[in-house]
Amino acid sequence: MKDMLTIVVRLTISCLLAASVMGVCFIFTSNAKKHNEHVKEQQVMYELLGYKNGAKIPESLALHEVYRYVISSSEKQSIGYLVPKASGKEAGYDFVNIDLNGALLENKAVALSETEVLETETRNKAVQQAVGAGYTANFADRIIIVTDNGKRIAYLIGGKFQGFKTFVNVMLAVDPNFSLLGMEILEHEEDPGLGAEIEQDYFKNQFKGKPFEALKTINVVKAPIPDDYLKALTGKLSEADILKFREQYKDKDIYALTGATISSKAVSNGVKGIVLKFAYRINVLDKVLREQQLAVSF
Amino acid sequence: MANDKSSMQLISRGILSENPIFKLALSMCPAVGISTTVMNGLLLGIAVLFVQVFSSVTISIFKNLIHPRIRIPTYTLTIATWVTVIDLVLAAYLPEAYAKMGIFVKLIVAFAIITMRLEMFASKESVNDSFWDGLGMGLGFMVGMMTIGFVRELLGSGAIFGYDVLGFKPLLFFILPSAGFFVVGLMMAFFNWIEIFYKRSKGLKR
Repeated sequence: MKDMLTIVVRLTISCLLAASVMGVCFIFTSNAKKHNEHVKEQQVMYELLGYKNGAKIPESLALHEVYRYVISSSEKQSIGYLVPKASGKEAGYDFVNIDLNGALLENKAVALSETEVLETETRNKAVQQAVGAGYTANFADRIIIVTDNGKRIAYLIGGKFQGFKTFVNVMLAVDPNFSLLGMEILEHEEDPGLGAEIEQDYFKNQFKGKPFEALKTINVVKAPIPDDYLKALTGKLSEADILKFREQYKDKDIYALTGATISSKAVSNGVKGIVLKFAYRINVLDKVLREQQLAVSF
Repeated sequence: MANDKSSMQLISRGILSENPIFKLALSMCPAVGISTTVMNGLLLGIAVLFVQVFSSVTISIFKNLIHPRIRIPTYTLTIATWVTVIDLVLAAYLPEAYAKMGIFVKLIVAFAIITMRLEMFASKESVNDSFWDGLGMGLGFMVGMMTIGFVRELLGSGAIFGYDVLGFKPLLFFILPSAGFFVVGLMMAFFNWIEIFYKRSKGLKR
């Protein structure tokens, strides 16, 4: 009995000690970690827009973040968008609630600053307040609208889809006509040497420059990549030649990875799904914003 | 059982006569899975070195307070704590390295070599000796991982530290996990051969 008591007491104390060591360490490192993730994300975004490795980013370029929420109550569902207001940096956000037929339900101002909106919890709370009791707001995804001197030049869309093993997390850049500008694989757990090759240039660069029309019916072909196209994809040719090849292959299907047809299919279907859904959504949102004459920043 | 070895002897024992990978044949999973390049071996080796030293010292400090019936949970808890700390620190201050080895760092919790050193050494010896023993074992593991990584990277992708030295890829097979077993096996044979050779030459001198 006495033994049991000492065992319990000592194990409890060891656990408490361990927990406090880990806790202190977490407090000291969490900010730096968040900062790193943010920097990494920014880097991926600018690379997708064509500003590689510290190329100078023009000041006229601006990123506007739009958050999409699914609002549901016991009877019905609607989609809510958190869009930044037009004037000034600290203008806050508009919460636009749109029903499934594309008609505006309500429009509310949400007081959030640019830094507050990055905090998931603060943002979710503010949105929940805006939709009111009886409704639940679930965060769905985030899109980033890129403008140059007030003119839209690209959209950055984050997305997730089922790969061969678990989810594949990607970020896509599309131009205002929904042609793909680029794709970056952020996270995946495919098999090394097989499915993991989806993050290699010769696979992901095949998506670059695919027009919207081609994306609608995109599929994979099980054939080896032609040698000269492979060189263009891995960046071994001059810029002009790469563009020529991109033009030549822009309506063709994606060459599947050897031994990883399922992963290749998953990526091409996932990209197709994300872009098609996004194109529909942004059109609905734009229509509502135009009809209501809401002044938004993009 | 008091320890009669000096700090230098403890270190050289970890690297040579009781090398975790080649002599004790512990922690074979990372040796086979991760050591595809010298850099991977070095990074994991450093992480293991830190976890080993910190855990050994911690257990050695608290050795009289640990109830013998629950020593294994306590060791595991200690190792898990230090692994978490190193994981957090790496993620915060070395994001580049963490992106490559983040998934392996968490695996260190289950490395046999660390638990084994705590059980065999740190729980009986003084703090000072435990530190040197941990350092020796960690270094031994790091050296082992790097040698395996060296052979596999050179033969598999024709490079060292990512720099192309051969200009061609001799045998792609060496990158694959199964080749790890072959390399480890051959290395063990090589080290044993050296030891036998060394002992014989010593014997003759006497």
